[in-house]
Amino acid sequence: MAAPLELSCWGGGWGLPSVHSESLVVMAYAKFSGAPLKVNVIDNTWRGSRGDVPILTTEDNIVSQPAKILNFLRKQKYNADYELSARQGADTLAYIALLEEKLLPAVLHTFWVENDNYFTVTKPWFASRIPFPLSLILPGRMSKGALNRILLTRGEPPLYHLQEVEAQIYRDAKECLNLLSHRLGTSQFFFGDMPSTLDAYVFGFLAPLYKVRFPKVQLQEHLKQLSNLCRFCDDILNSYFRHSLGAFSCVNRNQQQTDFGEASLLLDKKRSMPICRNSPSL
Amino acid sequence: MSLVAEAFVSQIAAAEPWPENATLYQQLKGEQILLSDNAASLAVQAFLQMCNLPIKVVCRANAEYMSPSGKVPFIHVGNQVVSELGPIVQFVKAKGHSLSDGLDEVQKAEMKAYMELVNNMLLTAELYLQWCDEATVGEITHARYGSPYPWPLNHILAYQKQWEVRRKMKAIGWGKKTLDQVLEDVDQCCQALSQRLGTQPYFFNKQPTELDALVFGHLYTILTTQLTSDELSEKVKNYSNLLAFCRRIEQHYFEDRGKVLKKHSRWYF
Repeated sequence: MAAPLELSCWGGGWGLPSVHSESLVVMAYAKFSGAPLKVNVIDNTWRGSRGDVPILTTEDNIVSQPAKILNFLRKQKYNADYELSARQGADTLAYIALLEEKLLPAVLHTFWVENDNYFTVTKPWFASRIPFPLSLILPGRMSKGALNRILLTRGEPPLYHLQEVEAQIYRDAKECLNLLSHRLGTSQFFFGDMPSTLDAYVFGFLAPLYKVRFPKVQLQEHLKQLSNLCRFCDDILNSYFRHSLGAFSCVNRNQQQTDFGEASLLLDKKRSMPICRNSPSL
Repeated sequence: MSLVAEAFVSQIAAAEPWPENATLYQQLKGEQILLSDNAASLAVQAFLQMCNLPIKVVCRANAEYMSPSGKVPFIHVGNQVVSELGPIVQFVKAKGHSLSDGLDEVQKAEMKAYMELVNNMLLTAELYLQWCDEATVGEITHARYGSPYPWPLNHILAYQKQWEVRRKMKAIGWGKKTLDQVLEDVDQCCQALSQRLGTQPYFFNKQPTELDALVFGHLYTILTTQLTSDELSEKVKNYSNLLAFCRRIEQHYFEDRGKVLKKHSRWYF
């Protein structure tokens, strides 16, 4: 039997097993390749540094970053790309690069930089899942990290205006979504009938964008017009994540499964404290 | 550029044909230009050669500062200045020349994806090697980058640029990578390119596209630039179809038209 594999990641909401793109990529890949992953949601725990989430822990290894985790799983013989040709493997790398360069900046912007979205949705969600006093510091730091990444890779003042950069990244993201939609066409997955690494990455990036309810929704609206991409996300959620959705959904917190271990104990403690979830003084 | 400005520029671009006196600006070839900038400049030159558009290459020490986006190369056409391969391809398209019109939507998606792969992996690896690997920085980069300027400006500018590049590496998660991991990424990227190219002459069979220009720019520069060690070029040399690809483009689009790319070209066949 394989050594127990534990994944630490952010929890879920809005019908998703996780709201964090990178965590979702790893969870999807594990489902596709049949890796027995024990998911430890780090909400409301003091567990380790959150900067590196998702983190895979085995008996003797600690692996962070999705690309490295996927490599590690492949070495453990959990390979979702077994049936792909060499050329399809090359295409996978190329499309993942496309996602990271063109789509990721706009996704980061929608979640962490756009003020309406950040202050009404993202910050309260994360702050309510991080113990005090980290809840005061960490969301702000994640937001600054996101803005930093966008500016450093796309251009910062004085050579560029912030509005120009924003307009450009949304344009690139919409083009990227169109390209993905063309490439997917009418097939169920990107390479035929079995899901592979590329499907995991696309699902990880698109699903939060598709499902999370935001006030400012221009990218989401664009995604919803591409019906094959929406169908792709829904299919994966229904086929691979139906059983665990009850455990992960923030609405069903009371029915959380016991394999969350310490997390549930701390949750119970927290629920008895009169902290308002959407308090602006967080 | 905002949508309105872009539409405006496109309209002006479309109004005039390509002039004879178009110029491309880059840093000084012999003493100043670095690996990544040379690759970018060569990619643009290859693209313009493939479109049959005449271009004159001018070397200036302050090319980086003249550029509207801070990156080289940039072209000066008529009374417009456009920098970087992406916007240059759009600009040339507005003037009615395009290499990728014959591709269908799925192929265009693939082409864009592979161009991003080159930018994401090869270009970032080149920047890492130039600015984050201590041996290369000390021996080559600092000296070259500041060479046109007097002391102490040469040191200050070099350190400033190094700090900027390191910030960027950290933001995209390459800050903690070791040189071996970076070389492995380069190998993966070359493997993907080699598999995609296969036995075809160009990436989309008979006709070259901007992807071919970009790949040529980077691979040719890696193969013919002397660094502190040969590890980077060794990774590329493992793939014979990529070597043949570079040789083919060099011959067809540069030597046959009387343009000498490098005076003392080092080829390892």
